[in-house]
Amino acid sequence: MQGAVTSLKRLLLACIACVLGAAALTFVVDPLQLFRPSRLAAFYSDDTRMQNAGLILSQSFDTAFMGTSLAIHFRQSDIDRALAVHSLKLSMTGSNSRQQAFVLEQAIDRGARRVIWEMDDFIFVDAADIEADPYLFVDLYRRTAKGIASYLFSASMAKESLFALLRSVPPLRGPLTRAAPFLPVKFALSDVDDIYALPRDFDVTRGYNAQKTLAAFAYITDPVRSRFLGEGYGYAAMVRHFEQDAIGLIARHPEVTFDIYFPPYSILQFVAMRDASPETLKIVTDLTARIAQRLTQLPNARLHDFRAIKAVTHDLDNYGDVIHHSPAVDAKVLRWLASREYQVDPKAPLASLDELKAQVEAYHVPK
Amino acid sequence: MLFNSYPFILLFLPLVLTGYFWLGRRSNLAPVIWLAGASLAFYAVGNWQFAGLLLLSIAFNYGVGHLLIVAKLGRSQRRAALALGVAGDLLVLGIFKYAGFGVDNINALFGTHAAVHVLLPVGISFYTFTQIAFLVDAYRGRVAAYALPHYALFVTYFPHLIAGPILHHKDMIPQFEREEGKHPDAHLILCGVIIFAIGLFKKTCLADGIQPLVALAFEARSPSFDQAWLGSLAYTFQLYFDFSGYSDMAIGISLIFGIFLPVNFNSPYKASSIVEFWRRWHMTLSQFLRDYLYIPLGGNRRGRVLRYVNLMITMLLGGLWHGAAWTFVVWGGLHGAYLCVNHAFNALVPTVPSVLARPARIAGAALTFLAVVVAWVFFRAESVAWALRVLRAMADPSNIVFGRDEIAALLLVSIYAMLVWLAPNTQAIMRYDHGNRRVGEALRAGRIRPLILYGASLVLAFGLLGIQSHSEFIYFRF
Repeated sequence: MQGAVTSLKRLLLACIACVLGAAALTFVVDPLQLFRPSRLAAFYSDDTRMQNAGLILSQSFDTAFMGTSLAIHFRQSDIDRALAVHSLKLSMTGSNSRQQAFVLEQAIDRGARRVIWEMDDFIFVDAADIEADPYLFVDLYRRTAKGIASYLFSASMAKESLFALLRSVPPLRGPLTRAAPFLPVKFALSDVDDIYALPRDFDVTRGYNAQKTLAAFAYITDPVRSRFLGEGYGYAAMVRHFEQDAIGLIARHPEVTFDIYFPPYSILQFVAMRDASPETLKIVTDLTARIAQRLTQLPNARLHDFRAIKAVTHDLDNYGDVIHHSPAVDAKVLRWLASREYQVDPKAPLASLDELKAQVEAYHVPK
Repeated sequence: MLFNSYPFILLFLPLVLTGYFWLGRRSNLAPVIWLAGASLAFYAVGNWQFAGLLLLSIAFNYGVGHLLIVAKLGRSQRRAALALGVAGDLLVLGIFKYAGFGVDNINALFGTHAAVHVLLPVGISFYTFTQIAFLVDAYRGRVAAYALPHYALFVTYFPHLIAGPILHHKDMIPQFEREEGKHPDAHLILCGVIIFAIGLFKKTCLADGIQPLVALAFEARSPSFDQAWLGSLAYTFQLYFDFSGYSDMAIGISLIFGIFLPVNFNSPYKASSIVEFWRRWHMTLSQFLRDYLYIPLGGNRRGRVLRYVNLMITMLLGGLWHGAAWTFVVWGGLHGAYLCVNHAFNALVPTVPSVLARPARIAGAALTFLAVVVAWVFFRAESVAWALRVLRAMADPSNIVFGRDEIAALLLVSIYAMLVWLAPNTQAIMRYDHGNRRVGEALRAGRIRPLILYGASLVLAFGLLGIQSHSEFIYFRF
């Protein structure tokens, strides 16, 4: 009996030692660069909701770039070249306005003086409050005791730290860095520019073409699935979220310039709503009219509307589905932002929207 | 409350354990009441709105059981009491679990738009089945009279309440009645902690670790051949480690209290036939279905054809037990069909010569695993159409992506496959013998202690470090 008691004590003490050892390893290696810029070669993760917490603390920047999957494949170096800024890309796939505003607020607090914000209508649908959001680690951004504990006392982070440590051993550095993107480790990217960007050898023609776009259109307008077009859309709630998250943030930071743009979806996005869910199309147009009217009145905000640029939006070869555009369009977006060619005129905030409405009405889907 | 949560491990379990053994020094009944109360609190933390339903269910079944055991009823009266008890249980289960499904089907058939929104009480399938078995055994005269606290603890006992294993009164209640069990046994506590550690590691580091890969097949609009296979295999291993991790944790926690729970898993993916698979997977459910459904239906006593019909009925209902959706019915139907083919094969094909026994076993294991994976696709998919889409992708090798993500996924899936097929299971490591109430004899004798101890401490540490705030057990939904 005494032996079992001793063994039990030993087991529990050894367990505590292991836990503390793992936490110490994560603290020293700090894969997220939450406490200090990396001493070893820095590596990054594609999990932007988590990675952004470390990027905001470890990178230097004057401009924050925010958006959803529509703004995910931009490269920071391209943004910097096109707009003559020192940017930090913080886009998060499927993010909502609460998450985006929260992350932007952290970036502004760390020195961002310009924000480039790709704004979708669907970011304003109802979602969990930021404090209850299971997908955004708010305590990690805030560096609360809970956030730091969840970072340090984590098996996944201990694994990443161990892998980073192995990668820092000179003979292993080369092979492990090359192998990392193909291994089940999160911090696999050695270049901050590659975070959630298309691989450099990506076959753009195969990924973006009219055939795929039309197939996606047929898929979402199928009567079985067309109800999903309007899922979560409610005008009043969306306006409320826009006011709280976007207007609230912009108004709180008059020293920051906000370049906000409506991305160039393919025309089929709106045609799908026209044909399969007209009530959703009305919500979208009413909401973006409201957004245009509100944003153009703010002194520190500029709105750019790319939705009616027919040469891009009607060329279905630019898309991988009805909304996601190719890297060629990414480059155009940056050029348009730099030239302010499609900036919405505060005196006629609905002009581009009216043009879009006319295009949607007139459009015939290719057979 | 979840086993894989800090409040449970650091607060609830130590508190309940301390109270249990402290009361155990004073009385034989008080610890039982304490543990039943703690179990109810465990349930109520996440499901307070259904705690009343659980209590009502206990009172109802205990009352009917009392009629069957103690009251001097005639044969027809006993039959009526049993019918009342079972019907009452099934009615409650039907309302909470199947009402929405029934209405959806009526709407689909008749074009109506009726709507029923009933929340599913967690664990209702488990505590209902447990009590039906009790009533049937009481009717058969196989139950001694039990005190209410022991019966209530048997139903609510928190290590099993929410996701099994399905307990049998004959196994459990005598253990609750034993006085020696209420004093701390350092050996059982040590073994319990080790088994719990293995289960926690399986859940937090293995099952939760592979979960994101499941999206490759089941959240993609049109998965490629490799994505569909990798996603389906990821789910196959996620379910395995999730459920077997839960079962290990349940056994480990219970052992700390000095109570032996039945084994629910015995390396099912090592099975060389579907019949063997069901002797190794969710073993307590298989036993329940066999004893309280298949055999009462006639089992194999009424000829070969009726045997197959009974198998199909049993598996279809077993499928529906897992969830009120056609995907579960198809899953159950597939396993029913597999079992029929397996039995027919055994009846028609002569015994394999011994020289071919090993290759035949390997081929059987591969075929069984393949069949199980195909069935899991229906089990996991949102709809039958979605499952068919995944299966079509799995059958179309012309569409292969095999990019970075897929290579990383393949590596991870391969590691899991090696763990499943090459590593010993928990009961083998710990020599857990439920029938003879023995565990860790080598550990007790002082053999292999350092290796087991420090290995267990590492496993426990990583199990604790792997705890995530948004993780739940797959079997909670059933």
